[in-house]
Amino acid sequence: MRYQDDHLSDAQLVGIADWEVIGREARRLEEHLSACWHCRARRAELERTIADYVRLHDDASQKMPPMEESRARLLAKLIQLSATPAVSVSPRRFGKFAYGSVAACLILAAGVVLYLNVLKAGAAPVPNGRLTPGATRIATKEDLCSSQAFEGFYPIPARMASSVFKSYRIQNPSPGSYEVDYLITPALGGAGDIRNLWPQPYASGEWTAHQKDALEDHLHELVCTGQVDLAVAQRDIASNWIAAYRKYFKTAQPLPDHMAFSVDPPWGN
Amino acid sequence: MLVPGPAPLEYEIVDLFTQFRNPLLRYVSALGLPLADGEEVVQEVFLALFQHLRQGKPRTNLKGWVFRVGHNIALKQRMRNGRHEKLHGAEVLAYEHLAPELNPEEHLAGAMRRERLLAAIEELPETERCCLYLRAEGLRYRQIAEVLEISLGGVSEMLGRTLARLSRVEEY
Repeated sequence: MRYQDDHLSDAQLVGIADWEVIGREARRLEEHLSACWHCRARRAELERTIADYVRLHDDASQKMPPMEESRARLLAKLIQLSATPAVSVSPRRFGKFAYGSVAACLILAAGVVLYLNVLKAGAAPVPNGRLTPGATRIATKEDLCSSQAFEGFYPIPARMASSVFKSYRIQNPSPGSYEVDYLITPALGGAGDIRNLWPQPYASGEWTAHQKDALEDHLHELVCTGQVDLAVAQRDIASNWIAAYRKYFKTAQPLPDHMAFSVDPPWGN
Repeated sequence: MLVPGPAPLEYEIVDLFTQFRNPLLRYVSALGLPLADGEEVVQEVFLALFQHLRQGKPRTNLKGWVFRVGHNIALKQRMRNGRHEKLHGAEVLAYEHLAPELNPEEHLAGAMRRERLLAAIEELPETERCCLYLRAEGLRYRQIAEVLEISLGGVSEMLGRTLARLSRVEEY
């Protein structure tokens, strides 16, 4: 809106304040402003309105829920998603029918995967990705390499352990047969969250809680000595700890020294 | 010795999330979504961003991209909810921070002004309101134009018109 033909419009005044007018046009408007009290007064009114709105906006900022939980949730989803192949589709070339077909296939596939996951629930050397995608907390490398890195994580509260067994449909687990294990160990920034816990058996073939403990210990050392990036360690252990074991110990099979390796306490002892 | 690899994409996305989560959540809530729905929309946006970058698509103007996708998903969610929350995000903007240094009269005057401003914002056409919210979140005019699919000149005109309307509220 123009006040008068020879004054600047509100849009021009706001545009100058926002540094959205550049070059020759900006110089022309600034020149006008330097000579025109009327426009400068109007600009001050608009700036006051912006300041009032900013106060509302700042108040709203104080009501934002904390970020940590949602960030950990996103990371867990990303880790899961990264295990699936990236699909490149140009939306504009994709007809509605094709979208419908793909959606139907995806729903069907998701249903099948869900059904198979439910059938497979129970203890296994690797966690069920749907039940235990892994979750991290906010921690720096310095925090994790201090002696207080595990404070508050052990022992795992009985109620939480019981929920973990329940989610894996394991009834009456015998004490000492499982480690209720953090997928991403707290020493690597893992969170004390049920999505980061699973019942890892001590007797499940060659890959057991003993090897997982050895890997956790080794990775912690590699991170703290700067040989492996913390983010890489978290990703590797969360996506497939057995593959991570093979990678970091440079072996296809568990090492003999690790057959009875134990750091974390068995459940129920 | 193992050589640390580059930060994986997952962690880059988490960094971007840390940077944009609050502005985006404030924006989608202001569009009329309850905070819980807003959180879900924000999660969806960053999962989509992960796929976008994983497919090697352009990295230019990621802030604009995040708000554009967030805007579209939030509008769909709002339609699914079948209800229009108080337009400027009752849960978010209508939050009053009591400044301890003000006396009761000043509190009252401030509260009344605030109410008038909120009422005036609510009466704005939706695109103008979005323009205001996006500018307050630090988007440049070009980015706002992309989010709202309007021209650059349109953004400039709308912001000028909106602030002029709101400044008239201050006069009373």
